[in-house]
Amino acid sequence: MSAITESFPSSAWFDDLVARAQVDTTAMERLGVAELRFGMEIVLPDGSRPFFGLVLDGYDIDAIGPITESEFAPEVVFSGALDAWVEMIGWIEANGPADSAHSLNGLTIAGVPFEARSSDAMGSDKFYRFMGTLQAVFDAAWSELPVPAGRG
Amino acid sequence: MSLGLDLSYLERSARGEFDLGWLKETSSEWGMRAVPSKTGLTMRDIAIGSYGVVPDHAPRRTMAPRGSDVASDVPDMGYTINDKSEVWADNVLDLYEEAVSRQWSATRDIPWGDLRPLDPDVEHAMCQLATVLSEVEMVAADFPAKWLWRINHDFIEAKMFLCTQVMDEARHTEVFRKRALANGGGLGKATAVVERFLQLILDAESYDEGSALMHLLGEGIVLSLFRAGAALAPSPVEQQIFRLCMQDEARHVAYGTMHLRYRLERDPSVAEDFHAYLDKGEEIIAMIFSTPEIVEPTAILAAGSVEAACAMGAEAGDVLRRQIIGDYLKRCDHAGLDRRGRLHLPDALIAGVPGAQVEVAV
Repeated sequence: MSAITESFPSSAWFDDLVARAQVDTTAMERLGVAELRFGMEIVLPDGSRPFFGLVLDGYDIDAIGPITESEFAPEVVFSGALDAWVEMIGWIEANGPADSAHSLNGLTIAGVPFEARSSDAMGSDKFYRFMGTLQAVFDAAWSELPVPAGRG
Repeated sequence: MSLGLDLSYLERSARGEFDLGWLKETSSEWGMRAVPSKTGLTMRDIAIGSYGVVPDHAPRRTMAPRGSDVASDVPDMGYTINDKSEVWADNVLDLYEEAVSRQWSATRDIPWGDLRPLDPDVEHAMCQLATVLSEVEMVAADFPAKWLWRINHDFIEAKMFLCTQVMDEARHTEVFRKRALANGGGLGKATAVVERFLQLILDAESYDEGSALMHLLGEGIVLSLFRAGAALAPSPVEQQIFRLCMQDEARHVAYGTMHLRYRLERDPSVAEDFHAYLDKGEEIIAMIFSTPEIVEPTAILAAGSVEAACAMGAEAGDVLRRQIIGDYLKRCDHAGLDRRGRLHLPDALIAGVPGAQVEVAV
């Protein structure tokens, strides 16, 4: 996988992340089925907000984007500044699966540095329902995980 | 009571004179074939033809599978919940599948071997929180179990989902009891305030009332506690415990929210009843924020020590307070029950919660 500072955010980066997460299909299936359209927004220093999506569909995971939020129609959006994204992913790359302070849950609970926004209660509750699966996807950024053949 | 043993049938069938009425006098949808979807054969996949039609009012009170040919002399099982709207939610089939698929083991799936000695303040706090959670979680098994046998079998998917909840809550009770005992701290204190809330749920006079108090309000509060627990976890052990419990609890809350929505859409006149249940239940939120055995362990986990928590004061619990009340209001809103301006909470608790106070037009 490319270094985070060189290629994030990009569709290639998210594609690689998802490919890594799906290497161990047994582990992902052990987490159980999930149904969620998860939006990811990166707030860049110039104020632009590239948007990507993760689609959890049964045991399948797909990365989509860049795409507009309205086109993707997310149920919940995980949004934060580029620095916060780099810090989160860099920590996982260096240390392994996120600790509580660097987890999706820990980073959103106070609304900073990330916000988990949804238009209704079902969206935020789905964020909680599938937290383990979502975190497993991001934990796949850990560089000691095997890189899928043909990528990296 | 005679069960209706037909001795002559034993003789006839021994001679090969089968009755075969079950085969000839059937109205089943022969040829209706459920097709598995990509994760397997789901409850939604088999909700086909007449088998997928859930009646608004159950025509019988039997355990006969919905869609089967039912003999005319089946006994009445005495179910008291015979209207679909009393228990149904549009997401209940999916929630059942999700619950079955996302089960976990408190023995196998928690990295107990990674527990390490914690600062005594933090260990005490974690054990007290584990004590409270081990205490409260079982009511969310007792309540559905109390009502399950009263729910008509025609609403079997809702009953099956409630069965998964019973198992979830048993596991939560187990995992927090294990956590309290696994690192040398032991169980903490059980309080009258918590027990009174549990009694309120268990003694609810209707499923409506109990579900509003438990699925929507009580489990919503606990869900926020689980989120906080995962965020404040001192080790990967607690992080995994709280994360897995959070996922389960959010399913229960999602059922409660969508059940209330379904109920209100079919009969808006019951809205005032639900307001009344929640008027009473919300006092519990206030009581929880006045209960040292809940507030203080959470504050200590947030701050890292008793001394640091004291220095932070209410600030240590502000995130949790705002989340509990904010998420609760969002769920009520999604269900179609606007609690804004009706909250039975002191101003001090709703301060800073978006939408909790009615804004006066200028």
